[in-house]
Amino acid sequence: MQYEIRVDGHMSETLIGSFPELEHVMISGQTLLYGPLVDEAHLYGLLARFQSLGLHVVELRRLPE
Amino acid sequence: MAATDREVPRGAPVPGGADPLGDPFLRTRFALPGRPGTFLRRDRLVEHLGQALLTPLTVVNGSAGAGKSLLVADWAAHLGRPVAWLTLDAAVEGPGMFWAQLLQSLNACGVPVPTAIDFPADATRVHHTLLSRLAWELAGHDRPVTVVIDEFERMTDPEVARQLEFVLRHARPGLRLVLVSRTEPLLPLHRYRLAGEMTEIRDADLAFTTEEAVELLELHGLSLAVPVAGALVERTRGWAAGLRLSALAARSSPDPELYLKQFEAGQGTIADFLLAEVLERQTPETQALLLRISVLDRFCPGLADALTQRRDAATILAELHRANAFVEDFGHGWYRLHPLFREILLVHLRRRAPGLETELHRRAAHWLRRSGTLPEMLAHGAAARDWTYMARVLVEDLEIGRLITGPGSGEPVDWFAGMEGETPDPATNLVRAACELSRSDLDRGLAHLRRAEEQLASDGRDFPAARLSWAVLEALAGRLAGSAGRAERATRSARQLMPRMPSRLLEGHPELDALLLTHRGSSALWAGRYEDARTDLTAVARGPRTASTALPRMEALEHLALVDHLDGRPGAAERKVSAMTAEAERYGLAQPWGSGLGQVVLAAVALGRDDVDHAEALLADAPGPRSADPVPAAAGRAVTAGVLLARGRTGAALAVAARPVPAADDSPWAQGTAALVVSEALLAEGRPDAAVEALRQVAGDQPLCTVGLARAYLAAGDPRTALRLLDGLEAHGRSGPGVAVPAALVRAQAAALEGDTATVRRLLAQALAEGRREELRRPFRSAGPWIDAFLAEPSLRASALGWLVPDPEAPDGPAPGGPGPGMPVEELSERERDVLERLARAMSTEDIAADLYVSVNTVKTHLKSVYRKLSVHRRNDAVRRARELGLL
Repeated sequence: MQYEIRVDGHMSETLIGSFPELEHVMISGQTLLYGPLVDEAHLYGLLARFQSLGLHVVELRRLPE
Repeated sequence: MAATDREVPRGAPVPGGADPLGDPFLRTRFALPGRPGTFLRRDRLVEHLGQALLTPLTVVNGSAGAGKSLLVADWAAHLGRPVAWLTLDAAVEGPGMFWAQLLQSLNACGVPVPTAIDFPADATRVHHTLLSRLAWELAGHDRPVTVVIDEFERMTDPEVARQLEFVLRHARPGLRLVLVSRTEPLLPLHRYRLAGEMTEIRDADLAFTTEEAVELLELHGLSLAVPVAGALVERTRGWAAGLRLSALAARSSPDPELYLKQFEAGQGTIADFLLAEVLERQTPETQALLLRISVLDRFCPGLADALTQRRDAATILAELHRANAFVEDFGHGWYRLHPLFREILLVHLRRRAPGLETELHRRAAHWLRRSGTLPEMLAHGAAARDWTYMARVLVEDLEIGRLITGPGSGEPVDWFAGMEGETPDPATNLVRAACELSRSDLDRGLAHLRRAEEQLASDGRDFPAARLSWAVLEALAGRLAGSAGRAERATRSARQLMPRMPSRLLEGHPELDALLLTHRGSSALWAGRYEDARTDLTAVARGPRTASTALPRMEALEHLALVDHLDGRPGAAERKVSAMTAEAERYGLAQPWGSGLGQVVLAAVALGRDDVDHAEALLADAPGPRSADPVPAAAGRAVTAGVLLARGRTGAALAVAARPVPAADDSPWAQGTAALVVSEALLAEGRPDAAVEALRQVAGDQPLCTVGLARAYLAAGDPRTALRLLDGLEAHGRSGPGVAVPAALVRAQAAALEGDTATVRRLLAQALAEGRREELRRPFRSAGPWIDAFLAEPSLRASALGWLVPDPEAPDGPAPGGPGPGMPVEELSERERDVLERLARAMSTEDIAADLYVSVNTVKTHLKSVYRKLSVHRRNDAVRRARELGLL
């Protein structure tokens, strides 16, 4: 499952380092993280991590394979 | 009383209680979080929260750092009445642990927990009765009790949400529940919302308005123009943590207003960016400290010093707290990091010092061993993967009993879930042996136990705690292997080692002695040494009543119940199982309890009363052959075979009776009870000589078998031997009506064969009198056709009416030819009537169980037999039919 998660604001390198399983690009005022997720549990785990780091998820979508 | 007055020393244990894992409760969990000097009270939110007193449920949902906890804590502190506060953390896992903590939070705020409820002794499960009683108790309060659960997002177990909903529903209007959570709780919120029974505060409500932001920043020493503050609110979306961090960052810059303008224009993620800025401006010592304590849930200066290996934590923490940066004060020297900041600091730690995290967990584990609680120590030990250290602590501190106090004590086992590879030292082998034995994996447990023994012998060092732990485990191994000698030797060596242990340490672990005696008693019972067994098991049952001894005490009671059953005292056996059940419910333990033996004994009692359905239901509920324990296995085998025989399934009964129960020692009663079934089956097939043969070798001093043998001899045409056996039995004198009644019936049959009807009548009258007290129907019903003519005689019939044969003229019985299609085939037992009456009051199965102090399964069993006896399938029909029959 390829996912793409859009987060409000530019994440610092340090913070991005805590999501080693994902690639990222910065776009205007947002950070786009993307990559393969193992399963739904992984997805919910990621969302909880975003939340605990005070990040706002503005968009989440599954990419076509 | 203001809630703030109750803020007792925290971090320190609460006196007079221990959670299911035996740890003192941590005060930090029950304390209202302190409000920093910069806390801004917002009247609109306080007013909104005021509705919490009017609705059963209040949910405060908001993202990390939105200011949820402080809002609720401030409201609670000014409420002018006690509020039970519980902050969840990672260690509060599973329903048992959760409810124990919740009860303690009630205790801590001065709401007494009723005496009928003890703290759950099992971390992973909780019995429904505990919830019913708690709800009942709360419903009875004239003023509702307010309970706040903070960080509820940590409770991901849907079972807990269901249980909480049950208590809330049944306690109303006695309970006001306030859940503070980052995520929506798993309760049926829509129902509460529709009914207008919920107060909701969400992110949008929690967000700061521009005016509020100006006030907040003022408290932080920043005086901002409204447009600047407005832009800041827009940038942070009024997020409390963002505002607070921007104040901290701005305050330490030369031109705060300029700094904030730059920040507003920037694109960094808010907390991440600001926290890095604030962190950079701290001294190197402070930075090092902040990064290191991010591995901890809570800390005091001593623990922080252990992590930094310096001695300046007290000063730094006090300073950080004064500056309102990062740390929250719990009072009495305990702090925690704000959860949001902690997460980000942890990311920085991993980045700046890769690999240090493990070492920090190791240091924390070492410090917590001396000054903290066991689960906290284990949590950090497991995070550091320092299994050897954890095992050594468990052994040295005599905590080994926790791993084996029962099937539900799974938590410490889980701490070792990540452990792999060889186990080079005795402590680790002991811990692994305990884990395997508690799962009843005898072979693997024994292998570790043997390795530990060899290592202890070859290692010259004296390690009495390890040898004592070994002896306790060895006693359990002896019991599971059915070897009384082994359990006895292990107990003796444990007893020799005990005086060498520090007495304070030993006194803190009453479960060790209880476990030793239970294992020795169980293995003595297996070997047929009833008096020894009774002495040991009685000592356990009467021993110290703590949560840690609950499981051995219950096991002792069910073993004693088996002794009573074997002696022919069904009433006494039943009372012991009830005592065990009551104990289990007191501690909120969920079924199956103990080894399942109690359930089997109840089935045996039901069989003696010829209630075969009930016996069958009880056996179906009893735990299966999961256990390696020979005592419940053999008892279960005999009763199962007995039930099959009563159903006329002789072949199946014989197959069950022939099932082997592996054990080192022979067990006279295990062999005897199996042989008795075989003998009865052979008698039923008309083969009395073979029936004699089946029992002749094993009867020995088994009173039930002796009666069975006498009966077989009589059937084989040898009344003299039969009577001689019975004479010997009476000289013996220890048995009760369960033996005396069938014995009298064999004598009566012998007299009937002689034509001595006067003796028959005298013996039958005596048997009926004795049998009536215990409702022993089966001996009469299986005695044979000769008995019918005698029981039809008016004088004897009078003693049999109402319990052995139906009484058509009973005053509360149905009138003959009444509206119903006839009376029920069998009369309802007293317990079944109790259940039926409550059914008629529209009580749920759970409520009936709670009301009658029995388990839900027991109620279901009673319901099943009520339905059967009334020939109905549904509860409404049962009530209607019972009314028709005049039973209600």
